[in-house]
Amino acid sequence: MGSKKYRGLARMKEAFFLDGQFRAGVIGIIILLIIVVAAPLLATHNPYEYGPDNLVAPGVNGHWLGTNHMGQDVYSMIIYGVRTSLQVALISSLISGVLGILVGGIAGYFGGKVDLVISEVINAFLMIPTFFLILLIVALFGNSITNVMIVIGITSWPGNAKLMRAQALSLRERTFVKSAIAMGETRMQIMFKYILPNGVFPVVANTTRGMAGAILTEAGLSFLGLGDPSIISWGQMIYAGQDYITVGWWVSAFGGVAIILTVIVFYLLGDGLNHVLNPKYSFDKGGK
Amino acid sequence: MAENQAFIEIDNITKWFPHKDKKLLHIGQEKQWVKAVDAVSLQIRRGEILGIIGESGCGKSTLGKLLTRLEEPTSGDVRIGGVSTRELIRRDPKQFRRKVQIVFQNPLDTFTPRDTIEKILMRPLRLHHIGKDDAQRREICLKGLENGGLRPAEDIMSRYPHELSGGQLQRISIIRAMFLEPSFIIADEPVSMLDVSVRADIIRMLQEMSRERNAAVAFISHDIALTRYISDRIAVMYLGKIVEYGDADDVIGNPKHPYTKALISNCSSIDPEEEQEHIKIQGEPPTPVNPGPGCYFAPRCYKACDACFKKYPDAADFPNGHYAVCNRTADN
Repeated sequence: MGSKKYRGLARMKEAFFLDGQFRAGVIGIIILLIIVVAAPLLATHNPYEYGPDNLVAPGVNGHWLGTNHMGQDVYSMIIYGVRTSLQVALISSLISGVLGILVGGIAGYFGGKVDLVISEVINAFLMIPTFFLILLIVALFGNSITNVMIVIGITSWPGNAKLMRAQALSLRERTFVKSAIAMGETRMQIMFKYILPNGVFPVVANTTRGMAGAILTEAGLSFLGLGDPSIISWGQMIYAGQDYITVGWWVSAFGGVAIILTVIVFYLLGDGLNHVLNPKYSFDKGGK
Repeated sequence: MAENQAFIEIDNITKWFPHKDKKLLHIGQEKQWVKAVDAVSLQIRRGEILGIIGESGCGKSTLGKLLTRLEEPTSGDVRIGGVSTRELIRRDPKQFRRKVQIVFQNPLDTFTPRDTIEKILMRPLRLHHIGKDDAQRREICLKGLENGGLRPAEDIMSRYPHELSGGQLQRISIIRAMFLEPSFIIADEPVSMLDVSVRADIIRMLQEMSRERNAAVAFISHDIALTRYISDRIAVMYLGKIVEYGDADDVIGNPKHPYTKALISNCSSIDPEEEQEHIKIQGEPPTPVNPGPGCYFAPRCYKACDACFKKYPDAADFPNGHYAVCNRTADN
């Protein structure tokens, strides 16, 4: 039976050709994913290995981007750093997305007192200085990458929850929700079958943009010396390179460039998704 | 059950919404209420179609939602076959939902946009354990679509709601309601958003449904000609109250309430030659925030006298159960 695909796919295709932001974001994320998978092939050295060349400039002895003070190859470290950044981005935004969607969905759909309580909790979380809280938790519970990811996840959900709540608030007034109630569906069924699937898309776009924030937060933590020392991360490269900035600028600089590029990719993708998933957005800019 | 006995009894059903005032403080002020539906009592027999007409904002749709319990009534109750729905829904909500079905005004928004028609139709069947297994349920869906004139049924099943027209979707909405074999159907302006050319189909389906299943139907509409055509009885609503009720032909052919008269006189006729005297009613319908104390229609009524402004009038009875809530029915 040739069932037709949902128009979302067709719209994504259309967006890919018409929306420059979305196209750039998709291409960027594909490149990042290739780097993640093919890191051992792309890297010229083992990034964990302390080589004999300490602080050599880019281009010397086959070190394309130079080495740091311990003799680690900067280019290979950047390649492997993509793994850390993407891991942090994905897992922390997964936590933040799922938390936000569930909490916001419940608040918006159930309304009344439930909404009142949850909204206040969301507001309280929004008021907390997030970075300070992360610092505190990492200082208290140790700085493993898992802790960092969880902490970023549970501090960034309130934005998603607000968005999802607004969605649920408007969706529950729609006729198809009323008709589902009249068909005898329970509140939980309506929540998971009608409210969440129809309201989740702006939150997905927002979460994708949130990934850029997660990468920056992880880099910031590493830069302050609170990153996981057993892994390779761009933030740590900048942190380690700052002592040698006058004699070996390349150690910090390329890590910074990598962060900037990755963050831009996630922003483009998030913005592009926002266009794709918003049915009112038209891709022809001229207004034909 | 005897043919003449009321099957659906709407007993003094009332819905008040708190009125949101723009003022910040309410000190020394009584709480304001919007009386969307104000003590409405009606009866519908099995196999009978009751038309409910009135202008927009008079509480027709709220009444529909109260009947299906999409809104909780402030007071009053609805009884189906003598059993209170309040009791029924507390005991077994699923059974109540199966008994009472509603067809909505906007077919384009009645179905979740992310599911195919197949999934949309199968869901209530599964929910209420109709049919032995999925294969049999699928058969039921296909047969329902075929009978509703949606062919080829296989093709329709694989489509998404946005790929179908309003008329097709409204038919699917009725078919889906029929699957549950309801004994009470509320049709909330089911054709007002549809093309005139497909209206007849939808009306025919509703009529068949009421006849075959011997179900009671509440047909809510602002279209007087259509309501007269489909309904056995008609109730006219104004600001949350029933102002006139009776057999369709009595109410339309021999209206007693000035509001009904005005409505009918402004209903256009196909024959342009026909001489018709339009009765003008002045102004907008007043807000249903604490109306009264007199007749709600009095400020706009062309026949109002002093008494009308002082006390809400009593019903004046006419033959065949026809009544009008007005002081001035005697002097026509």
